[in-house]
Amino acid sequence: MTEVNPVGTVTALGVENLRWRLLTTYALFGGTALAVCLLAPLVGPTPISLRQVFDGSIPFTDNVDAQIFFIARFPRALAGALVGGALAAAGVVLQALLRNPLATPFTLGVSAGASLGAMVVIIFGVPLTVLGVPAVPLASLVGALAAVVIVYSLARLRRQGLSTNVLLLAGVTLNSLFSAVIMFIQYLADFSQNFQAIRWLMGNLDVSGYQPIVWALPLLAVAAAGFAWLPRSLNLLTLGSEHAAARGVDVLRTQRLAFFSASLATGAAVSLGGPIGFIGIIVPHIVRLTVGADHRVVLPASAFLGAVFLVICDVGARTLMAPVELPVGVITAMLGGPFFLWLLIRSR
Amino acid sequence: MLRADNVSFRYDTAEVLHGVSLGLSNAGLTGVLGPNGSGKTTLLRLMGGLQTPSTGRITLDDRDLSTYPRRMLARRMATVPQETYLAFDYSVLEIVLMGRYPHLPTFAIEGPTDLRYAADALAATGTLNLATRSFATLSGGEKQRVVIASALAQLYTADETEPGSHVLLLDEPTASLDLAYQLEIASLIRKLNAMGIAILISTHDLTLAAAICRDLVLLREGRVLATGPTQDVLTESMVKSLYGVDALVTRHPATDHVLVIPVDSANE
Amino acid sequence: MATHTQSIGTITTCSAVVAILVMAIGLLSAQNSSPKRIISLVPSVTQILFAIGAESRLVGIGSFDRLPDGDDRTAEFVRVGGLLDPDMERIFTLRPDLVVLYKSHVDQRQQLERAGIPVLVYEHAGLDDIAKTIRDLGARSGRTVQAESIATRMDTDLAAIRAKVDGRPRPRTLLVFSREPMALRNIYASGGIGFLHDMLETAGGENVFGEVRSENIAQVSSEAILAAAPDVIIEIRFDEYLREDVIDDERDVWRRLSTLPAVRNGRIHFVTGHRFVVPGPGVIEATEELARMLHPEVFATPQIRPAPGVG
Repeated sequence: MTEVNPVGTVTALGVENLRWRLLTTYALFGGTALAVCLLAPLVGPTPISLRQVFDGSIPFTDNVDAQIFFIARFPRALAGALVGGALAAAGVVLQALLRNPLATPFTLGVSAGASLGAMVVIIFGVPLTVLGVPAVPLASLVGALAAVVIVYSLARLRRQGLSTNVLLLAGVTLNSLFSAVIMFIQYLADFSQNFQAIRWLMGNLDVSGYQPIVWALPLLAVAAAGFAWLPRSLNLLTLGSEHAAARGVDVLRTQRLAFFSASLATGAAVSLGGPIGFIGIIVPHIVRLTVGADHRVVLPASAFLGAVFLVICDVGARTLMAPVELPVGVITAMLGGPFFLWLLIRSR
Repeated sequence: MLRADNVSFRYDTAEVLHGVSLGLSNAGLTGVLGPNGSGKTTLLRLMGGLQTPSTGRITLDDRDLSTYPRRMLARRMATVPQETYLAFDYSVLEIVLMGRYPHLPTFAIEGPTDLRYAADALAATGTLNLATRSFATLSGGEKQRVVIASALAQLYTADETEPGSHVLLLDEPTASLDLAYQLEIASLIRKLNAMGIAILISTHDLTLAAAICRDLVLLREGRVLATGPTQDVLTESMVKSLYGVDALVTRHPATDHVLVIPVDSANE
Repeated sequence: MATHTQSIGTITTCSAVVAILVMAIGLLSAQNSSPKRIISLVPSVTQILFAIGAESRLVGIGSFDRLPDGDDRTAEFVRVGGLLDPDMERIFTLRPDLVVLYKSHVDQRQQLERAGIPVLVYEHAGLDDIAKTIRDLGARSGRTVQAESIATRMDTDLAAIRAKVDGRPRPRTLLVFSREPMALRNIYASGGIGFLHDMLETAGGENVFGEVRSENIAQVSSEAILAAAPDVIIEIRFDEYLREDVIDDERDVWRRLSTLPAVRNGRIHFVTGHRFVVPGPGVIEATEELARMLHPEVFATPQIRPAPGVG
């Protein structure tokens, strides 16, 4: 049934190609992410001496350089990598789930829920801690999870299966609702509380310690495990649920896994660093333009590039106007606008 | 052998199919013919195992579809839905390789066998030269052939532990295609059938049904009007019953296929 | 001869009467030219007007403005909005003859000017400008004596504080305006301009971020604070009262920056009260409180009694 050697033609494009692409993705993107995370703490407005940073003979409470490196800068780099990677990966997964390259991790209302949770603590002032955990990130996580539950329940109301249209509508509804509530409680707040509330919404990675990262890590690990299962199924899902089902994909399970993993990653990321925008849409776009649409490559590449992108933005946030700090969300937004303009011009 | 026995399907409160029975033999080429809204697409989905009937049963090789594991069923039956919308820019080869999904464990990467089958599928549908092209840049006919190639790749197997029928189900394969492409697809379908694949098509296109289907199932408002070999079933009175239109049923002078020519009695 | 004297007498009397009449009219006009229906959208202006006893001329105040402690006439004053949401309808209904607005209220100012209503534009500035504002408001409301008394006392009291700390080593101080609860994030500190900075300098402290001239409240990172190594940290809280355990928990948050001299020497203070936030006569007491924290040896007990009409 085969005439000219098609095997030869296709194989030339085939297996080795895919294996090789996956390997180079991990090597190139992963290596860059690692390098950026290790180099970022070396950059900053205060000159520090690396020798002094790693001088074990000086007690930590006397070593300013070491504290700047290990308390101020390094946790920020780690947090930036985790938040950037999580948001970028969540963006990829949600864009596949909703079959729309303009979807963001914030489209389905998770971020609005997280913001509302944080606002409530910041503005009402209580409680300050819950079992030793600071209340702001905890309330933020609770808000995120509440949003996830609400959106999922709404999307499952109508019939069997998970309708992506209803999901989208539920997310948009929740976003508007929560934004209205946030506006209302801001109106009730006094000047200083409003100040902090508005500032929180712009994102900040200055965790000055490892505790917040340690708390976010298990959640991100679970999300990552979910992400690991998804790529091939996501490829098929983007052809349409019917196509995917016809190829043997368990569509409902894939959709559920995608929705919950992406929402968990987004919720954890927003509790850690605030709702930092544009990463979840810029990074997947750039990655697809460079490596194609196969999610087995796009998902890990986006996670790594997201980490790089946010860490670099954060270096800018803490260095450009030192000692004054810029909100990192402002920097990502300033890069986001021109990016979309460029996309628009390009597509003509 | 793919069979439906007294199948009904209810969607919310509306009964879309009622008491439908049909059979597709191992080398059969059967068309489900009916006007829009007669339940053809639903029937095709049920036959392909994508949905479960409300009553009755559907069996493949005498085994109820619902007892087949999902992936095993996908290795035996491939459905080509009516429309393909791509949200992202995949290449033709990527799409055809996606057909290998039910053959690979979750974390496996496609191997040389998978690539060979993809190549064969592309060759069979005459789209090998398009392998590296982006799907979005193809013409309507080319897209349809690629999607069929993907379904074909899904069915290829060297695994003799799973002998049995291989079925290709096509939902309105020529809708929204130009005439030339319609003819292309029609001849492709015949060719695939000759390769040993049983084919079930749902269509409202009388001409296509008459030209390539050996057997027909006439469906009207969710019920089977008639079933059997094309030349027996496609009579003038059946056409009138099904479409409410007068027609002349004759034989194509060159190919000897059944030919249905509508007659517009209003113009008399 | 009698007629002559009579004429002079008449003329003198007439002149006197005219003179008295003129003076009376003059006085009356002076009274009429100072506004009697004042609306103030600015908390510090409201506070000053109360302090100088001009509150009888006040018909409308801002939503968040406070009356002096113990003054429960709050129902007598109509609330007309604040910085973000001035209620122009309500303002017009009150028929004011002077409205005090923020500089950012550009549209509102135009509306009032078109309606012929006099406007006074307020802008937050340094410590010295407070006395100037007090005197200005005193002049406009005809309470010059009271205003002068308060302004002079402010000048002398602040000068006294300056004198007391003069020559003493100035501790490097971080004055925190706001931060995220239970975290060292989104920390806003006093920059090198504005009345908070001036209060700190008057009280004998050196603002670690004094070289930041771009804004009076600036966001700073934990790196910047580590590099600045303040000797004292003073956090300003808007609440009137903070529970002890809350203060302890929030103070502990600073511990992780253990190289800070402020942390090692336990010099982390929390101050509450409106006087730290509203630049009015209360700054005298606020500055003294700061001075007591920075130079405890010199300021054993409160020296200055609270200014009248101040919360």
